[in-house]
Amino acid sequence: MKITELLILNGGIVLSVEKYMDYVKKLLGAEDIFDRDEPLKGVRVLEVCSVVLGPAATDYLAEFGAEVIKFEARRGDQMRYVTPYAFFWRNLSPGLLEQNHNKYWVGMHLGHPKAREIFYEFVKKSDVVVDNLTPGRLSKWGLSYDRLREINPRIIQLHVSGFGSWGPYTGRTSYDAIAQSEGGLAYITGFEGRGPLKSGVWIADWTTALMCAVAIVAALNYRERTGEGQYIDYSQVENVIRFLDWTWTYVDMTGENRERVGNRDLAICPSDLFDCKDGWVAIVAFTEEEFMGLCKAMDRMDLYEKFADPLERLKDENARQILKEIAEWAKTKTVKEVEELADKYGFAATHVVEADEAYYSEHLRERGAIMAYDDPLYGEFVEPCYPPRMETPARLKWGARPIGFDNEFVLTKYLGLSMEEIEQLYEEGVIYRWNPDVKPQCPPPDWDGKKGLKFP
Amino acid sequence: MKEKAIVGMALDPQYARFIYNETNPDDVMRKPEAIDDMVVLDMSYGNYAGLFASSILAELGAEVIRIEPPEGDIARKMTPYGIMVKDAGLAYLTEGRNKFHVTLNIESEEGRGILKRLVKKADVLIESFKPGYMDSLGVGYRQLREINPGLIYCAVNTYGQFGKDAKEHASQPDYDLADQARGVIMSVTGEPELDPEVPDEYKKPLKHGNWMGWYAGGAWAAFGILLAMFYKRKTGKGQMIDAAPPEGMLAISNYLMQYFHLTKKKMVRAGNFDYAVFPYTYVRCKDGYTFMSGFTDPNWAALCEIMNRPDLQKQFPTIKERLTPENQPKIQHEIEKFTMNYTAAELLEIVTEYSRRPDKKGTVVTGRLNAPKEVLEVEHFKVKRMFVKLKDPHYGEVLVPNSTLRFMSKTPGRVKWVCRPIGADNEYIYGKYLGISGKRLEELKEKGVV
Repeated sequence: MKITELLILNGGIVLSVEKYMDYVKKLLGAEDIFDRDEPLKGVRVLEVCSVVLGPAATDYLAEFGAEVIKFEARRGDQMRYVTPYAFFWRNLSPGLLEQNHNKYWVGMHLGHPKAREIFYEFVKKSDVVVDNLTPGRLSKWGLSYDRLREINPRIIQLHVSGFGSWGPYTGRTSYDAIAQSEGGLAYITGFEGRGPLKSGVWIADWTTALMCAVAIVAALNYRERTGEGQYIDYSQVENVIRFLDWTWTYVDMTGENRERVGNRDLAICPSDLFDCKDGWVAIVAFTEEEFMGLCKAMDRMDLYEKFADPLERLKDENARQILKEIAEWAKTKTVKEVEELADKYGFAATHVVEADEAYYSEHLRERGAIMAYDDPLYGEFVEPCYPPRMETPARLKWGARPIGFDNEFVLTKYLGLSMEEIEQLYEEGVIYRWNPDVKPQCPPPDWDGKKGLKFP
Repeated sequence: MKEKAIVGMALDPQYARFIYNETNPDDVMRKPEAIDDMVVLDMSYGNYAGLFASSILAELGAEVIRIEPPEGDIARKMTPYGIMVKDAGLAYLTEGRNKFHVTLNIESEEGRGILKRLVKKADVLIESFKPGYMDSLGVGYRQLREINPGLIYCAVNTYGQFGKDAKEHASQPDYDLADQARGVIMSVTGEPELDPEVPDEYKKPLKHGNWMGWYAGGAWAAFGILLAMFYKRKTGKGQMIDAAPPEGMLAISNYLMQYFHLTKKKMVRAGNFDYAVFPYTYVRCKDGYTFMSGFTDPNWAALCEIMNRPDLQKQFPTIKERLTPENQPKIQHEIEKFTMNYTAAELLEIVTEYSRRPDKKGTVVTGRLNAPKEVLEVEHFKVKRMFVKLKDPHYGEVLVPNSTLRFMSKTPGRVKWVCRPIGADNEYIYGKYLGISGKRLEELKEKGVV
């Protein structure tokens, strides 16, 4: 890329890149996010989900403007009780907050016959229904797709579970860690000669939820063309399998397993995490130009002459030699020095970013990737806001809510029920609010009975 | 298909049969495609975030045109140990699916002219060059939106297209490892920091074994593109999308940011433990590893009953005792005393049997930690056609993972072909869209434009 090289003068950036970035910042920067359009404005989603996988899928939609109405069972979403080191913030579990934003919260169990009738009314006025209960549970409650499409032929219904709604393993309970292990991700993650490891986060939940959101928006695109809704069945274990790049073609072709190799990349060389004087640095340089840049930075043009060809570098023996040479060089440098050399010579090098750095990052804040908002119920939060950065961007409006917090608002606004009818539903136990004895279901202890309520 | 293979362990067999009928894999190729009215130009270079994004769109029916430089995309060479099948490595064979492949030298004036003509006919352009490169050539979003106001322009780079760090590191290319390293999740992935039995050399951040930074980044890009397309269908407007893969990782880093905000404390690497739910872990068993959980109090009681260890339940009665970094290795060790006596399949049987007991105390969940070879043999995935082996006229027999979007009842995702050689579709695509063929195409070839 000769022109790119021309743009970089002694590590400084010439004017044109600065100008370009200022231009993009005007289009996408965080400052006026609320003044820009939402791509899913007017799309109404009914969520019958618990834990991470289902709620995350609808959270992605909610941050991009969909109206998500969340129906909770009596005990509420399980994430009300799942939180790091059993830590709660004013009765709120950070584990519940992470995948529940901008939603409307209704306490209503759909197994109740009367609740089912109310749900049908919502289906008439909605676009999408999402659930991650055991496959077939909704059908037992009379909420199967064959019924819902009679009520609203435009409805898009998505069900997500570990293994899908049919097949030998359907009905088996799955968690994130099961998807990681059954799908092969855990096996290939870990250091050479050590045991398999799962991700530091519930990666199978989050990425599967993301593909669910992709499927839903694809179905919305199709409906925009044809007026037709559809049913979508999505499997978490399959999603993990799909994300494992060249694994399957390799295993099928060679008959060998893909083994664990730590931070080394078997398909890109060099690409590894190295020890510096003062920490770790990830270094990658695959094209000839990038590798030449790295060799110049190391003052080891002999390596470049020997290994200019990327395919030669990938042979195991060569790869081990190259990585060893870089490791010895990196030991003599600080992380910062290596990063500066990468900027100058055009290869990739970065330290490992931790939560505190991301939290305080000026870069992520000006991009809207980290966003502060003042929640009327809980006070100020600072959280990630979903990517990608767009002209019709994601935004954070409010966080999680106690069980049944928006019952009145939702039932009056969307179904036009009177307060008498709503009272009746409470009395019959069709709808409910938080149980005052179970703190993770409740508003903050000092709640004034008004803040955050949308109605009355 | 056999009844048992369809209904499996279904709660409601009738429902399982119904969904099977609605999403029968035999019908996939005869059904319509969700977005087969879209044209996508994928100019990503050496970048599987871009390639995975366009794979998703191609599985859903979009006409994806891969624009490679005349010598081919370096992504073709990203392949384990350098294994190539003709001009494509194994990763590229996986993500070349359903795409047309043309070559174009955009560093030549004529090449840029051709690109601009293609852009007029396209809905989406994906690129992953260093930020500002396309702009400096006169074919960035700023210039292309003038030619086509409906264009959705998606740029992929580690640092993004604007912001403090983007300016500082504009000369750095995008790679998966850098994306994972900057995505925060890597800082908490790896062997448990507080376990005294782990040697110091292994107490460091660890990437996911796959290209998770790129694949998550690519899924986010595809999500953004489909959102933008939905918006375009209503308003006619295109837009710029800045998809930085590390932000795609940060955004799905559990409660790391929320916990830091509320406590100003960071989480530490937990290995296979989980500081929000435990036991919820991989344990050794007779024939490898398996997953074991029982993290709520009733489920923990059930696990202790299965193991016949009432003493453990007494010792660690609530989540407060079970979530401390000190106790977790101890509990793990005790569970393994039990699981080491059985194979993963035997444990699944024991747990399933317990789950059918009317007096069960709670739910225990288990599942084998499969090696990739084993995954390929699982009956469930065979029945559901998770993998497809296509006989390609150029590359021979190739196995790739199927589209996971193939259970959309009306518009299932699909794989039609695995890949194409470099420039294989020059004649078709340039002829179809621009009327360039025959002699004119030969001339361009000679000049090195295509």
